[in-house]
Amino acid sequence: MVEERALTVVEAMTLARRALESVTVRVVGEVSEFNDKPGYKAAYFTVCDENASMPCMMWRDAYLASGVDLRCGVLVELSGSFSAYVPKGRMQFMVKRLALAGEGMLRMQVADLARKLESEGLMRAERKRALPAYPARIAVVTSPRGKAVHDVIRTLRRRYPLAELLVAGVAVEGTDAPRAIVEGLEAAAGASPDVILLVRGGGSYEDLMPFNHELVARAVASSPVPVVTGIGHEPDTSIADMVADLRASTPTAAAEAVAPSIEELRQRLVSITRLLGRALSHTVQSYEHRLRLVARRPVLCDPAVLTGPAWQRIDMVALDLARAIPLRLSRDAQRLAYLRERLVRVGPRVHERAAERVAREGGRLMDLSPNAILGRGYALCLAEDGRVVVRSPDQVRTGEPVQVRVAGGRIGCIVETTDTEA
Amino acid sequence: MVEDTMALPDDLAFGEALAELEAIVAALEGGQLELEESLTRYERGVALLQSLQSKLTDAQQRVTMLIGELGEDEAAE
Repeated sequence: MVEERALTVVEAMTLARRALESVTVRVVGEVSEFNDKPGYKAAYFTVCDENASMPCMMWRDAYLASGVDLRCGVLVELSGSFSAYVPKGRMQFMVKRLALAGEGMLRMQVADLARKLESEGLMRAERKRALPAYPARIAVVTSPRGKAVHDVIRTLRRRYPLAELLVAGVAVEGTDAPRAIVEGLEAAAGASPDVILLVRGGGSYEDLMPFNHELVARAVASSPVPVVTGIGHEPDTSIADMVADLRASTPTAAAEAVAPSIEELRQRLVSITRLLGRALSHTVQSYEHRLRLVARRPVLCDPAVLTGPAWQRIDMVALDLARAIPLRLSRDAQRLAYLRERLVRVGPRVHERAAERVAREGGRLMDLSPNAILGRGYALCLAEDGRVVVRSPDQVRTGEPVQVRVAGGRIGCIVETTDTEA
Repeated sequence: MVEDTMALPDDLAFGEALAELEAIVAALEGGQLELEESLTRYERGVALLQSLQSKLTDAQQRVTMLIGELGEDEAAE
């Protein structure tokens, strides 16, 4: 056996490196340390399982190209080969390809779906519908077994027993779960509730995967009835949560979110009762006050004020009337009396005047009488019969008797001659 | 009359009745109503209030299964 020359350290390490680099493997492990400083040419991290740990390096460009966001605790699948860093004598795994594994892979798929649905606008805030304040019917889509459904029932019984609860009990785990959940949502919507609760108790990330399923997400987003989710525990967020109208952290929180508290309602009714009474009595009081003000006005205090003027006018007219009738009568009587008096007084005077006149006219009559003329010495010649006045010599013949009247009496004469004057 | 078309308080959903009641309180508090109208609304308000209170008092949870059968309540044991 020829004893070979001893190697230098660098020779030994180079030998080891060559040997390591000939082994290409795929490894799954959890990231336990991660160091990615911007200045470095490579990302350095350690993957481990319960029994071993393995230092890794990946050229920075390759790491960025992988699209994986390395963090401690993430399960990754690596492929590459071992190597040695000769200057430090340290073994390391040179990562060629990097991908999330197991839950990590699931998370990446979920993230992809989330991005897709988000780009479709299914997570926009304006799509979120308001929940009815007082739901009469609440549908619950969840497993019929387990804690979640009972948490919801108990919470709603305590808070808001007014609402009718419709439960669609469906499988929420396993490969059939997405389809079952979609059917449950459809059955729930078909019962025309005011709101739908989609809930499930806590579980591993994989347990919650049906709520990250695209079918379920689309069914939630397109539900005709607002959907409230309460899936898992506080930090768990599924895609169903993201597209729901409201996301609550747990089933109990979801039940609390959809219904008001009956205690608050009772107190509200008590305060409304008080407000209602106060409002009415306030209204009545204000009308009473107005009424009192009006009632104090004289027109209403003393009815006579209203009718008074009318009565007064009637009285006045009556008085006038009463006064007017006798006055008129007495005035008439007076006038009558006066007239009579005048008449009486005037009577004798009329007589006197008439007598005077008669006397005067009589005098004139006397003047006109032939006797008066005869008195002045004239004579009147009448025919023999004493009736016809002889005015012309032609009326008588010689020898014919005529009467001549003079003032003192008659003279019988005989015509001796007649001589007609020219 | 408006009154004739009004639904009986018991026929209204809880939220509808409560909303109407609150509107009545607001209208009465506004003090712009005629006295008769105030009294009519008040009566309606009292009827709504009684209906709501009895709904709260008599409320008993009803649970209907659309799909499946309800399992045991683990927490109740």
